[in-house]
Amino acid sequence: MNTLAALVQIAGVALAPLLPGSIQALKARLQGRRGPSAVQPYRTLRRLWHKSAVDPEGTSVIYWIAPPLVAACMLATLAIVPVGGHAGPFGLGHDALVLVGLLALARFALAAAAWDTGNGFSLMAAARELMISVFGEALLVLALLLAALPAHSTDLRAMSVAAASGHIWSAPAHWCGALAFMLVILLETGRQPIDNPDTHLELTMIHEGPLLEYGGRDLAFLQWAAGARHWVMLILGAELFLPHWGGFAASLGLLLAGVTFLCGSLALIETTQAKLRILRVPALLGVGCAIALAGAGMWVGGVGT
Amino acid sequence: MGTLDAVALAGAATVALGGLLAAIGGGLRAGLAVQAAGMALLGAGGLAVLTGGDALGAAFRSTIGPALGLDPLSGFFLAVLALTAVPTLVFARDYLPTSPGARAVGALTAAFLLALVGVLAARDVTSFLAFWELMTLLPAAAILVARRDQAVRSAVYAYLAITHLGGAGVWIALLALAHHGALGDPSALAAAGTGAQTVVALAALIGFGTKAGFIPLHAWLPRAHPVAPAHLSALMSGMMIKVALYGLIRVEFQWIGATPRWLGLALLAIGLLSSLGGVLWALVQHELKRLLAYHSIENVGIIALGLGASLLFADAGQRTWAAIAFAAALLHVANHAIFKALLFLGAGTLERAVGGLDLDHLGGLLRRMPWAGGAFLVGSMAIAGLPPLNGFASEWLVLQSLLHVALHRPLGVALAGAVALAGLAMTAALALLCFAKVVGLVLLGPPRRAECAQAVDPPMGMRAGMVALAAMCIALGLVPGLVVPTLTGLAPGVHGTVLARHAGLVLPGTGSFPSLALGLALAVLTTALIGVRGKRRAATSPTWVCGQPVARALGWTSAGFTKPLRLVLEALLRPHRAIEVERDGGMVQSITYTGHVPSLLDAALYEPAVRAGLRAAAVARRLQSGNVRTYAAYLLGLVIGLLVLAHTGALG
Repeated sequence: MNTLAALVQIAGVALAPLLPGSIQALKARLQGRRGPSAVQPYRTLRRLWHKSAVDPEGTSVIYWIAPPLVAACMLATLAIVPVGGHAGPFGLGHDALVLVGLLALARFALAAAAWDTGNGFSLMAAARELMISVFGEALLVLALLLAALPAHSTDLRAMSVAAASGHIWSAPAHWCGALAFMLVILLETGRQPIDNPDTHLELTMIHEGPLLEYGGRDLAFLQWAAGARHWVMLILGAELFLPHWGGFAASLGLLLAGVTFLCGSLALIETTQAKLRILRVPALLGVGCAIALAGAGMWVGGVGT
Repeated sequence: MGTLDAVALAGAATVALGGLLAAIGGGLRAGLAVQAAGMALLGAGGLAVLTGGDALGAAFRSTIGPALGLDPLSGFFLAVLALTAVPTLVFARDYLPTSPGARAVGALTAAFLLALVGVLAARDVTSFLAFWELMTLLPAAAILVARRDQAVRSAVYAYLAITHLGGAGVWIALLALAHHGALGDPSALAAAGTGAQTVVALAALIGFGTKAGFIPLHAWLPRAHPVAPAHLSALMSGMMIKVALYGLIRVEFQWIGATPRWLGLALLAIGLLSSLGGVLWALVQHELKRLLAYHSIENVGIIALGLGASLLFADAGQRTWAAIAFAAALLHVANHAIFKALLFLGAGTLERAVGGLDLDHLGGLLRRMPWAGGAFLVGSMAIAGLPPLNGFASEWLVLQSLLHVALHRPLGVALAGAVALAGLAMTAALALLCFAKVVGLVLLGPPRRAECAQAVDPPMGMRAGMVALAAMCIALGLVPGLVVPTLTGLAPGVHGTVLARHAGLVLPGTGSFPSLALGLALAVLTTALIGVRGKRRAATSPTWVCGQPVARALGWTSAGFTKPLRLVLEALLRPHRAIEVERDGGMVQSITYTGHVPSLLDAALYEPAVRAGLRAAAVARRLQSGNVRTYAAYLLGLVIGLLVLAHTGALG
């Protein structure tokens, strides 16, 4: 089973760009447009792969190394996150908090690259992203705490198995965690109401901003990393918070259903919600933190368990 | 006398000899080298005691006669002291000779190091307190020798005033412990009742907490640490505040007997306040050394979180996790000592190279100073808690400890653990924001001042000191698991092994952090992807500013990068800003902008305290009539009063 899980994880490297692509396609349908097809990200990657890169004047090794480093971080997270409660023997452990560290490393690399170019728009976006991540990281660890409570462990495989034991679905704490993690997904995948993936107006960008100076294969790495971030977050959301049961095959099937459901939810949220003012985003994430803390209190206090 | 005793004594003697040598004209560089050799000997002795597990010299005693000795806990702190002091002294060999008052500072460095060693080796109250006071006074003397301007004097005055007022707590705690015969004997104070226990616990928390820089007792730290010469800043921020934590651990973990639960919760609260407060005010600093000093507050906060979690686990009878949380705090002690020493040495190097540390006037130094800049980058990433460097390893351990507090405990404590967990995550993200800013403004981008364009790498000794510390950051980040099992053995009440030895961190109840594998994986994957990217066909172009020419004056500043956060936390930070526009006949001639974020606690706590103190002094001055007969009357009154008290038996 672990070998099969490893194959799914490796397939994730290729499948990841499909997620943002299908969300965009679905969203276009919901909005009554035809829109680009779900495989558009692959076409973009192919196009970028054949283009030459750009080196802004005065940049150093940081600008040069950031795209491969960000992609390497995302590859490592793909190896850590289990599918269907199992994961391949990649030797990188399966700890939830290590995941937080890897995401932070990727964020730092991009912010440093933005400083290296000195581009005002990149730095504006990097400053915003790091500011929001202050609240986002608190929310992320609290959501992970809620998933770790029933498992008594931060091993993602154990957390996934614990979420499969039916009685947990009646615990309010679990759904508090699910709500908190949904906000994390919105944040990490850069979707409305926190960020707008469709905009290419420099003044409003958050996640896209630090990518502004990159071109060619560098940009291809970063675009893939954005897809991989969707993959990791949606898989985690489905594994830790959505109902799944049965054997490994059933779990994988339910995982697919869960990820599809989450893609649909993201498309729906993006269709119905406007983007928040950036300075309001911390309040939204703060509400998420309060819900998560309330959930932790209910779990320890034995409400509904 | 065993070999180890001889090694330790020889080390101390060598350091003293190095100090004398440094004071002689022309012997400064040799003296610092001798000091480094002595510290290396002492560190080897400490390491041997730590790994051997046997105590050296005298045991703790509550009597007055001076006694020295080492046990594994002292050995650990001594080893960390040596690990940071040796590279720092190597750095100082090339840094110090061109500083003002170099010989005196060189000699005082040796004295300061011996005072630090003395606190760690003291085995009775009198020598502990004597070395403790020396440890406070000697860096103040060194700063006053090296810097003579008025601002520095007032900073040193604030340092001495606050640490001595707070330091009274250390005296109260230790004298009370000695009074009950409780030094090294946890059962003695337990017999004295909870009242005495509470007094000692609180006094130690205030006394050692002041010296460690816990908020709200921190006000001296961001004033005093930045004004010292670079190598002393490194030792003060790296080790002096850690020695205060050593004292705190001795009292709260070993000597007061069964630790009350409130103490664990208090340490969590203090840790949360210090880590969040320290990093928040670090973020809004625009001078590098001041920023680093605030980060020291953040990091002692993280250590306090680990210690608090350990006490809460011990209270719940969970010995394994108590030991792990304790080891997490100790690992962070070592890690912070290393990367903070590195960063302060880096700041000193940069100051030499470009003549100032205003963040907005640096830039582009990674390309021009690859060795110093590279080491500084490693230190920045380590303090920001990024894998696979050492800061992440200890922060991961503290995060896991807090998460497990929230998993296992009764409701109130579990919620405290959850809040502390979220707070530490925020702290880590804020530190990331702060050091993204520092790295960007100092090392990357265009040089923002002419001197930066001409900067070159420092001489070999300074380079070697920094690179050695950076190598330690990487090594401890890759194999923290080799150290942690030894550290769990230092936790009170631990017998036998708690954790098996791996390269990475394998703990029960976690998904484990195989640090070595992860570091290698990141390196291999990044290299492979660089290979996949192939030979770059890159067009050089100016930075994109909507097609306008690039104007350096429009570049981002320290204040600009933290603006979103300042806006979000406006209610808390209360930033001041003023824009003055000078017009002449409708034309704008010049615009000046000033902005700063005041220290909230200075305004809310220290200024009223200082005002009240001055008012009290004015009242007390009335006692000073200048008349000899009045003073004789005071003396007579005092004697009579004491006699009455003695007669009634109030003096015992």
